Amino acid sequence: MKNIIIAAGAAGALAFCVSVTQAQQLKGEYKLGVLEPLTGNLAAQGKLHLEGYELMRDLINTRFGGVMGRKLVLVVGDAPDPTAAASEATRLATREGVKIITGTFSSILCGAASEAAARQNVIYWETSCVDPRFTRRGLKNVFRTEIDGVGFGWYNVEFIAKYLAPRLGKKPNELRIAYIAEDSSYGQGVTEAARERAKKEFGMQEVALEYYTYTTNDLTPVILKLKNANPDVLHHIARDQDAILFWRQAREQNFEVKAVVHAGATGYGNPGFGKALGNESNGPFALSEPGVAFLVDKLRPDGQKIEHAFREALKAKTGSDVPAGGHQLAAGGLWLLKVVLDAAKTDELDKFRAAVMKMDVPVGSLMNGWGVKFDESGQNSNERVQHYMLQWQNGALVTVWPEEFTSSRAKWMPLGPWNQRK
Amino acid sequence: MRVVNFAHGEFLMFGMYGAFWAFTLLHADPYLTLVIAIPVFLLVGWGSYALIMRPIVHTSHNVQVFTTVGLSIVLQNLALVLWSGEARFVRTRYYGSVVNIGEAVLNLAQAVAFVLAVSATAALFAFMRWSYAGKLMRATAQDRDAASLMGIDTDRIYALTWAVGIACVGAAGVLLAPIYAVYPTAGLQFVLIAYIAVVLGGLGDMIGALIAALIVAAVEVIGSYTIGTAWKEVLYLLLFIAILVVRPAGLFGQRGAEALGV
Repeated sequence: MKNIIIAAGAAGALAFCVSVTQAQQLKGEYKLGVLEPLTGNLAAQGKLHLEGYELMRDLINTRFGGVMGRKLVLVVGDAPDPTAAASEATRLATREGVKIITGTFSSILCGAASEAAARQNVIYWETSCVDPRFTRRGLKNVFRTEIDGVGFGWYNVEFIAKYLAPRLGKKPNELRIAYIAEDSSYGQGVTEAARERAKKEFGMQEVALEYYTYTTNDLTPVILKLKNANPDVLHHIARDQDAILFWRQAREQNFEVKAVVHAGATGYGNPGFGKALGNESNGPFALSEPGVAFLVDKLRPDGQKIEHAFREALKAKTGSDVPAGGHQLAAGGLWLLKVVLDAAKTDELDKFRAAVMKMDVPVGSLMNGWGVKFDESGQNSNERVQHYMLQWQNGALVTVWPEEFTSSRAKWMPLGPWNQRK
Repeated sequence: MRVVNFAHGEFLMFGMYGAFWAFTLLHADPYLTLVIAIPVFLLVGWGSYALIMRPIVHTSHNVQVFTTVGLSIVLQNLALVLWSGEARFVRTRYYGSVVNIGEAVLNLAQAVAFVLAVSATAALFAFMRWSYAGKLMRATAQDRDAASLMGIDTDRIYALTWAVGIACVGAAGVLLAPIYAVYPTAGLQFVLIAYIAVVLGGLGDMIGALIAALIVAAVEVIGSYTIGTAWKEVLYLLLFIAILVVRPAGLFGQRGAEALGV
């Protein structure tokens, strides 16, 4: 036992020395602005994202040579609403002197923050917000590593038509589909993209469409409408507590549907959904970054290396090696920024942009199994930003699709009665 | 007191957290917690009056508004620091139980909250109408100077009034905890609609506020179902504006009723 302790101590000391040596090799600091909502309604997700950035920052500094050979330092601003996002972006640029700002996760915030960054001639590197308009404003300083709402809608319909429909015993054009969503640009962007593809490409039968404000405290009228519409599949884009509220009230009203499909790290994609509902959460699907049962070894060697490193760092900090969507989006985006900066060797906009456009990395090469191919608008492509369908199974978000990336399989298709989803 | 408390929603949120922690740590049923929460929040109300409201109760409305808005932000962020932004849930044994009334399906906790809220309103009405302390509160509201001349300690009456208000909202928070998620900004979703009900019913009229709340709820639910969920706020706010245009003192209020304490 004593020998084991000594060996462990020596290994720890060696790891510490290596880390210190690597940290000492870094010359100077590189300041990066980070904007996240750390107070207010969006704080829970904002803090998850910040935790993801911080974990990745530490990994970059201790194990991956910093950024352009310098130690990465995060300068954090709180952005609980669009006004604060714009003023904090300005402060980070003018007072802190950062040349790149990353954040803000929310579609409510990213537009205002990036406009303010553009006015200061600062690069805005979005890692999470999915508002389709974000990269359609002709801003040359704006880049997004995550897919947009149109991409979410595209993936969801792909899953419904090619995976769910046969398992529900129907052809895609026989499926009755209902759409409900919170009414921000996130909910509307994803929903409208899904509606268009579902109808034009697969001829699905749309039986209901409802938008609501995500701070609502009653979704019973929506559920009663859905009961009357009797859909096979419910496409629900929820932001936060509205997913929990809907699920509880749907159970109370005994609303039964064959499948529920969501997209994003919020709502059904938020770990809080399972924590709030326990095994009652069984059944809904959420398109997101990989969850439980993800086969890391199916990635390319570079992707495996960073994915394993991140999961180890997360486990050391939180005790769990299964990252939340917020962790993955922030950390994956920051890792890609490091790769670009190392390639560009500068944060000067023109050269940085040229380096971004030059990148052509296949799926599986980065964290979350992502690849890279940006278009001229600054948007990473749907095909390269590999996404995964997760399903709530006994309190965990389990990866179920594409099947080649997971050791688990989807359950409850159709969902069946509430008391039999065990 | 004629003070609009913009931190009311945050006291509600603390009531919800009280029920959550009592349930999580002590396995106390929220309805048992309610018995303890009322005196606790009475003390919290008394303390918050002494510390924060007493110095500003006779100042301009602007100062009162900024103070209570500031208090609201402080309480929200205090909860965020203490308990994070994560949503919590009080999952009682009966949290999924429903009550069927004809074809309508109600959550049991909602039905209980409704019954207890109506009972509390009736008890508060009786307290204000018939108890000695209630009469003192109404007398102070009608004319503070005259009340002082009659020997009423108006400062204590203000403290009592504030404390009773906080006790009521604390109790409401406990009742809502088994129904809604608990998180630092949980109170915000209830305050706007609560203000609308109070003003619509007529400031100072408790029964009016109760009836107005039922009207707002009916408009919200029926409008959501028949027209569209995105329209629900529009519908009850339009109704609110229309009624105030016709009856500026609210449905059941009289001009200056809040000053008369009736």
